[in-house]
Amino acid sequence: MELKNSNIKIKSKNLNVYYGNKQALHNINLEINNKEVTALIGPSGCGKSTFIRCINRMNDTIDICRVDGSIEIDGKEVNDKNVDVVTLREKIGMVFQKPNPFPKSIYDNIAYGPTIHGIGEKKDEMDKIVETSLKKAALWDEVKDRLNEPGTGLSGGQQQRLCIARALSVNPEVILMDEPCSALDPIATAKIEELIDDLKKSYTIVIVTHSMAQAVRVSQKTGFFHLGKIIEVDTTEKIFKNPANKMTQDYITGRFG
Amino acid sequence: MSDTGHTVKSYAEEMQSLNDDLIKMGSLTESQLADAMEAVIKLDKESVDKIVQNDSKINALRAAIDNQITTVLVKRAPMAVDLRITISTMKISHDLERIGDLAKSVAKKVTPLPIDLPDELVNSLRRLGDLVQKQLKDVLDAYLNNSKDKAIEIWRKDEQVDDLTNLAMNEVANYLQKDKKNLEMATHLLFVTKNIERAGDHITNIAESLYYLIEGEYLEGARPKGKPIDS
Ligand SMILES: Nc1ncnc2c1ncn2[C@@H]1O[C@H](COP(=O)(O)OP(=O)(O)OP(=O)(O)O)[C@@H](O)[C@H]1O
Ligand SMILES: [Mg+2]
Repeated sequence: MELKNSNIKIKSKNLNVYYGNKQALHNINLEINNKEVTALIGPSGCGKSTFIRCINRMNDTIDICRVDGSIEIDGKEVNDKNVDVVTLREKIGMVFQKPNPFPKSIYDNIAYGPTIHGIGEKKDEMDKIVETSLKKAALWDEVKDRLNEPGTGLSGGQQQRLCIARALSVNPEVILMDEPCSALDPIATAKIEELIDDLKKSYTIVIVTHSMAQAVRVSQKTGFFHLGKIIEVDTTEKIFKNPANKMTQDYITGRFG
Repeated sequence: MSDTGHTVKSYAEEMQSLNDDLIKMGSLTESQLADAMEAVIKLDKESVDKIVQNDSKINALRAAIDNQITTVLVKRAPMAVDLRITISTMKISHDLERIGDLAKSVAKKVTPLPIDLPDELVNSLRRLGDLVQKQLKDVLDAYLNNSKDKAIEIWRKDEQVDDLTNLAMNEVANYLQKDKKNLEMATHLLFVTKNIERAGDHITNIAESLYYLIEGEYLEGARPKGKPIDS
């Protein structure tokens, strides 16, 4: 498999991130392909979460965090002062390590996003959005008869799919996932992975994972971070069968530290 | 290849033990092939039983390696170089086992052979056998030294094995032409020749596996002349 470079959705150029005086990312240059899954791997604290938070400007919410350099989505600068962060985050959904449904009904968890964006004002329109979002997240069959029950009453794996459905409800283009399966059992994990495979037909996905096997299963491209630097990016196949860089090899084969 | 250094010590030990068993298997196979060739050249019928019995040691090691590999696969989900070591060790051990089988078959053919075979015939078998033994020794050395250049060299040299096989076959044909009553013996000798050649093909396979282990890529280009391995 060759890298397709013609099809770049997200591109970071000389991206540097600081928390106070401490630099967390150094000159990150990374290209993320459209409608593909890119996995980011690396030891704890190497800056994976910091990097994906740059994509939807979540680092803005951290006072001491400063970002310089460039991140483009479809060729448009994300860090531009004129960018409306609310619209940006609508376009870029995010799923976290711990499922975090709102303490509301399953239905309202999905309806929340569209409502604040002024979509689906008519009841039957919103019903449709809720149904399609839950179907896309492969959760509909399990919850269709209990839409008014609280989202927090679902199992961990179901909650995570609810969070994915919530992200999908506002028609994003990119979905960022930060260790989405680390709190889930193997079956729930398999369901999410299958879902990721399906979603990549319509969305660009960036997933941070500590499971090498998961990176191999779900992604087409993998980037290895170490101490705030990107060490190697290549097709997932190349990275896990025959990485070019010794550090990458040492990390994925468990020869670190 | 003692490429350890895993953070998890038991993982390093498992990989080391695979390596050790493969080396053990290699040297057993080497001496089996040497003994079988010696039996043919000297038409030494006494040694056949021992060679046949010893083959089970090689089979047992192959089974042990398979077993360890299964464990490593489920326990460690090896990646990159570890994955390549695991896969290549599995393939190499299977090729060694087949070479062991072929040595055994060669030895078994010694029993019915007459002790007065023509010198030309014996000599041509010796030359073929010497080359194949040298190839086996070289490929095992290349494995120990992690040498991809040696692997390529051995891979290319299989052509010479094919040439010597053809010469040996011609000698068998001459033997048959001298007296049609030699037909049964000639058939045995054809099997012996073919089996030595096939051992050579398995050595070529080992060279390919070794190259993949080291480089992470398959040996490109035309395979040396010779028939694909059908067993
Ligand atoms: N809010 C914060 N304030 C100060 N420093 C931070 C903050 N968030 C992250 N850092 C620091 O930035 C570096 C990168 O952290 P980040 O969370 O991006 O790592 P990570 O690769 O996601 O790690 P993990 O695999 O443990 O989630 C670390 O040294 C971390 O301590
Ligand atoms: Mg993180």
